[in-house]
Amino acid sequence: MKMEDATVLKQHKEGEIWEDKWIPSACTICYGGCSILVHKVNGTVVKIEGNPKSPVGSGRLCAKGISGIMFLYDPHRVNTPLRRTNPVKGMGVDPGWKPISWDEAMDEIVTRLDKLRKEDPRQLVLQVTTTLAPSSLVFFPFGWAYGTPNMWVAGGGVHCGNGAHAAGGVTHASWSIVPDFKHCNYAIYFGASKGHGAGHAATPNISLAADARERGMRMVVVDPMCNFAAAKANEWVPIRVGTDAALALAMCNLLVNELKMVDTEYLRDRTNAIYLTRPNGKYARDPATGKPLVWNTVSGAAVAHDTPGARHAALEGEYTIAGEPCQPGFARMKQQLKKYTPAYAEKISGVPAATVARLAREFGEAARIGSTIVIDGKTLPYRPASAIFFRGAQGHKNSMYNCFAIDLLNHIVGAADVVGGTLGFNPVCHGHPDTGKPYYTPKVDRDGLMATGAWMLPHVPYPPADPRKPDSIGLIEVFPLSHVSPLMASSDQEHWWKQFKLPYRPKFMLNYGANSVMSVGNKEAVIESLKSYDFIASFDLFLNEFSDFADIILPDASYLEVVDPRPNFPFIFNHPAGEGEWGWPIRQPVVEPAFERRSARDVMLQIAYRLGLGPEINMGVNAYYGLDGEQMLDPDKQYTIEDITDHELKHKFGEQRGLEWFKENGVITWPKKVEEVYWRTFLDVRIPIYHEYLIELGEQTGKICAEAGMSYDPAYYGPLAEWLPCHAHDEQDASFDLFAFYYRDAIQANGFTMENPWIDEMAKIDPFSYRIAINADTGRRKGLKDNDVIYVETATGRRVTGRVKLTEGIHPEGVGIAACAGHWSKHQPIAQGKGVFFNDLLEIDFAHTSPVNLNLDLCAKVKIGKQAAA
Amino acid sequence: MRLGMVIDLKRCMGCYGCQMACKAEHGTPPGVFFARVIKREEGQYPTARQIILPVLCNHCSDAPCVEVCPTGASHYAEHGVVDIDPELCVGCRSCMMACPYSNRYFNVDQRNYFGDEGPTAYEQARSSQHRESVVMKCNFCKDRRAEGKEPACVANCAAKARIFGDLEDPTSIVSQLIKDRAGFVLHPESGANPNVYYLAP
Repeated sequence: MKMEDATVLKQHKEGEIWEDKWIPSACTICYGGCSILVHKVNGTVVKIEGNPKSPVGSGRLCAKGISGIMFLYDPHRVNTPLRRTNPVKGMGVDPGWKPISWDEAMDEIVTRLDKLRKEDPRQLVLQVTTTLAPSSLVFFPFGWAYGTPNMWVAGGGVHCGNGAHAAGGVTHASWSIVPDFKHCNYAIYFGASKGHGAGHAATPNISLAADARERGMRMVVVDPMCNFAAAKANEWVPIRVGTDAALALAMCNLLVNELKMVDTEYLRDRTNAIYLTRPNGKYARDPATGKPLVWNTVSGAAVAHDTPGARHAALEGEYTIAGEPCQPGFARMKQQLKKYTPAYAEKISGVPAATVARLAREFGEAARIGSTIVIDGKTLPYRPASAIFFRGAQGHKNSMYNCFAIDLLNHIVGAADVVGGTLGFNPVCHGHPDTGKPYYTPKVDRDGLMATGAWMLPHVPYPPADPRKPDSIGLIEVFPLSHVSPLMASSDQEHWWKQFKLPYRPKFMLNYGANSVMSVGNKEAVIESLKSYDFIASFDLFLNEFSDFADIILPDASYLEVVDPRPNFPFIFNHPAGEGEWGWPIRQPVVEPAFERRSARDVMLQIAYRLGLGPEINMGVNAYYGLDGEQMLDPDKQYTIEDITDHELKHKFGEQRGLEWFKENGVITWPKKVEEVYWRTFLDVRIPIYHEYLIELGEQTGKICAEAGMSYDPAYYGPLAEWLPCHAHDEQDASFDLFAFYYRDAIQANGFTMENPWIDEMAKIDPFSYRIAINADTGRRKGLKDNDVIYVETATGRRVTGRVKLTEGIHPEGVGIAACAGHWSKHQPIAQGKGVFFNDLLEIDFAHTSPVNLNLDLCAKVKIGKQAAA
Repeated sequence: MRLGMVIDLKRCMGCYGCQMACKAEHGTPPGVFFARVIKREEGQYPTARQIILPVLCNHCSDAPCVEVCPTGASHYAEHGVVDIDPELCVGCRSCMMACPYSNRYFNVDQRNYFGDEGPTAYEQARSSQHRESVVMKCNFCKDRRAEGKEPACVANCAAKARIFGDLEDPTSIVSQLIKDRAGFVLHPESGANPNVYYLAP
């Protein structure tokens, strides 16, 4: 018991209820950030429920969200700063942690950072976890203030979204996509789970998906495994791992070339399908203005794309421009798709040709091309069919094309950001009626194409930045469509740093809650990379596998102990899409941080101020939060996160609605307008279905890479999506006969939930959570039975072991393992020894990385067998 | 009034929220789930299906547990809710044998989620209320109902798949749903006349 609790008890009689409060705040067990009400009685949190006043959950929570009490009171939390006393770093080598004071920890960190910055600020690496992505924003301004380009979300991006988010940004101006549940009649999910209690807008999507199911929306789930999404689908389409693009492109082919189910009006008016392309694939441009040309069928001439009368532009045909035969992008696409026959798709994906044909027809018919619907007095296109992707489909070397191929289904039938179709998460917000803030909307950018109006990161996916020689250890400047790079912790990083003549090496890491030893790929590669650092300081709730390589541990305050101004903003990230309400909640402490715990965000600000970087970080925060006018931070003052929260809230919602107002009210809501939700009709901006910019990007990137001796297949940089194999598909040794993949277990949210004993109980009851799923027939042929301990081994000799679960609900070639399990740290005794550490099977090197967006390939060809008794 | 529940398997999205909401509401000991979710497989690849079935005490009208209880601890409380009076329970566990649904638990002794580390502040506040050496189970959140709230699993269900109401009132939503969508009960052959109904997925 804490001292203050004891003091309090003295003042109150036994059995007396001296405090009984419900405090509004926001969950942070996953990055969904649903709104919560925390019930506190006599100083103790006794229940966490959803906040009915907020659209981010509407008073309901997933199982993980309810379980937060067990994190708050976990006796294994880190409670004081710790310093290692054993200089030897190694897996399982006891660092000899010794409690130290905050003063001592801060002095050492600040002294080291000061010296490091004078040498070369780029030697600092900031590493954060996805769970805290919306809360980690002060880390970006810190990085800018300090002068390092080396910031990464360890385990996010390369796993969940380098492709999905980039594609979402390019064509939907949003971080992610989701069916318009309220109106959609037919949704096809490719390796995605929207509405099953995980991910962005986790809880709101459960309600929306349930409503849609009851209403009769057909949900088809393409997935190697029948669990979570597929379990609740009307139809499960089992697919060979990593081949989603082959299926999607065959469906596109049938829609365009056979069924003729094409929304020509949408393609002509809202996409670059009409832009004329030259034999080299690039746009035919107006020689004077450089604008892409289109062919006006009335005047019989090529005109700039934005010339009035583009309604008469050709989608098909061939036209001679400057002596060259040119074709609209759509015509090229139509031709290119022809090779993706249902028979080809069956060969690659294992989905029967007849099923491919049926799915294409069902999707096309469901889209009701040409139909309209009246909403709020506005007549809008009505396309109640949606194709979505997420981690399963995008988690491959061919990540970018996989996403583009699946999304192309939406664009062919015109079901993008219109009623019933596929929606980006809230790409348009006109702001609160009182203030007009927050305001953002997609813009017309290079070549008349769309640039997203809000983004999670400084550089938007379209237009991509010009590739340049790398400044960062992840080489992201060379690959501008990436946002997180596995080269931050890869086995070949030193090789590429030498090749690219990187003039410095990372020396100091500040880590915020990421357990990168387990969250990226095989542990050896990550550990080697971590061992090369001179010094690592880490904010953590628990000691974990990563801690074995840290020098100082800083005890972070949990989400129930801190303040954050914007758990759900930008709305493109985790705010529910579609009609309804806007909601801007805050996160606030429901209990004061116990022991020596402190909010990492406040500590980061303090470090910046002590380094003399006050003006820089304050201006960085101003830039990141868009603070201006009276609420702009003064470069010469020092602030706490509470202060900044107050500024941010007043800036967005007016002087009277600062932190105090929000502490009391928890959330501000206002209705969404039809012009925001179905912005597509109201905004004159085109999206690319023909990704011409990739050609130029590929050439420029290729040139920089060639100088450094880095090569890749240029096929990844074509303007039209293709199916390209993963490493796993090219494995020649037939004894490696299965595809191992991991899936997001909706019971868990990243690795740290495995330490929660309530969640652990759920996982133990679940048939799959802690076991390796193998098709029953495959297992029997290999002489396996349920609960046998088996090994899973890759051609490169990487090996994990675990208990097997034979199931009818997995592709015969699949080996399905729930992600983020297999902890070995004794400091998380609940998590220790549970489940299987899938990532240990993954290579982390450029060869297994998308040369377009640096996505890591997440499948591995493996063999399995009974593990001999030790 | 006869209180009962309808669980709409078409709406249920399999998130385990009911199981956890119940756990947090009651601070039940490790291994005890007044509400829980069962996953089962049916059929063969490639047409196999996963069945996700949330279960809880069925509050049967002819409850075998009440019938076998030697002390009257298991009894019909107001509105047909089957409850256990811990003062009367002698821990013989006959009711657990009799329950066709395996939704009763024996609270051997005070156990904590972090074992030797002792009870957390939450467990001190909530879990210590449960008496040792007695049988425990769902009582449709008696305390919440007294405050005019729905049971925790119903109030929290993000899919709104659980509907609570009066089965004797033909105009209630639960009665209407059972009628319109052919609600069914689990193990009807037990003859227990359960008051938890399911709607087909």
